[in-house]
Amino acid sequence: MRVIVDRALCDDHGQCEIAAPNVFRIGVDGKLEYDERPDPSERDAIEEAADACPLQAILVQE
Amino acid sequence: MTATQADVPDVPYFDLADPSFDVTSELVHAARDESWYVHTPYGLAVLRYNEVGALLKDRRLRQGSAAWPAHNGIHSGLFTDWWNDVLMNLEGEDHHRIRRLLNPAFSPKVINAMVPQFQALAEELVDAFVDEGRCEFVSQFAEPYSARILCILLGLPESEWQQISTWAVDLGLSLGVTFAQDLDKIHAALEGLYGYCNELIADRRDNPRDDLTTRLVQASRDEDRLTETELAVSLVFLIFAGMDTTRNQLGLALQTFLRHPDQWAKLAERPDLGRAAVEEVMRVNPTITWITREALEPFTFQGLEIEQGQTIQLFSHSAGTDPSAMADTTFDIEGDRASHMGFGGGVHHCLGHFVARTDMSVALPLLARRLRDPRADGPGEWLPMSGNTGPVRFPITFTPGA
Repeated sequence: MRVIVDRALCDDHGQCEIAAPNVFRIGVDGKLEYDERPDPSERDAIEEAADACPLQAILVQE
Repeated sequence: MTATQADVPDVPYFDLADPSFDVTSELVHAARDESWYVHTPYGLAVLRYNEVGALLKDRRLRQGSAAWPAHNGIHSGLFTDWWNDVLMNLEGEDHHRIRRLLNPAFSPKVINAMVPQFQALAEELVDAFVDEGRCEFVSQFAEPYSARILCILLGLPESEWQQISTWAVDLGLSLGVTFAQDLDKIHAALEGLYGYCNELIADRRDNPRDDLTTRLVQASRDEDRLTETELAVSLVFLIFAGMDTTRNQLGLALQTFLRHPDQWAKLAERPDLGRAAVEEVMRVNPTITWITREALEPFTFQGLEIEQGQTIQLFSHSAGTDPSAMADTTFDIEGDRASHMGFGGGVHHCLGHFVARTDMSVALPLLARRLRDPRADGPGEWLPMSGNTGPVRFPITFTPGA
């Protein structure tokens, strides 16, 4: 599984961090950091993060 | 030390407590050219796009409405108990837990499946008045549309929309300047809504259906569920937050298009621009004109010292039309514009934004097709162009379209 965030769309709201805190986090600079190759056990949380993203900027690839 | 007017004479002062103060006025635009912030009786107001965007998401600030009842001298009772527990006023892990449980019920997949119902509702409402070539847009379209959408979403009989709407309007008095005087009415509405929602929750537990209420009753994550109280608090909050906002934003959309008839004609021909039209309207004419934040700790921002407890108002229209942040600020549904602040931002970004985006992007092209060449039919009646704004009455005439 690979997580891709469209940086051109991402607005750093941090809704993904709420949904999947082990994969996404807002850094001290206010910018999104994330794990591109997360553990498969995070799958459901990541899909919730992708759904919750206000900009719909998160893509999950197999 | 917090900057005061005397300390910084060059920073303008806006009397935000004056109901005639217009947050979209030339005065605000001129001040924005001079300074990224101004002083107001309700704390600092931030005017520019970059600063509003940064502070909206800054975690050294909390959502600013939690202290609202206390500011009005109301310290206990049913309203305060509810207000303290609603998603918007929770912070940290308390907030994140509830948000995680509520989120899936609002996913784009769930909402997109409702588009045919939204379309049928919009057509039905327009059918009822279109041949007359005139309507009062709020009572004949915006209000029943937003209230019945909420009924569709929650799985309530659409015939009950007027009762739900009345409670929501009365509860909405809590956001106004007459909050304290209206407290009995507000408490009655809250009791009515709690009773209604508790029955609804009990029913869906026994008789699950394909609706948002059932999804919330069944919502779970990592063995965690919403308690009975959390369910009732959340449902009441969804009704409170989802109805007035959409009604007002639809009215403001029409107001904007009346000023740009060529854009309305284009939207009639190009319904695929519905989503872009919603974004563009909310950039220049958002119903929530200030978003309130409160500093959790002292910090320095752009050289300005912010004290703990400092209230900060983030001006959404001013930010959305800031010429220092975008090459072209004119209203254009085909323009390429920066994202707007109409749904707030950061951890408190509006939970229901997919619903609002979807139902308005259905309604606007449909209205553009069926209400051709709309014109204002008298001045109507408007809330102050400040705070949460929109039309109370908005009579229009138009040429009926197919």
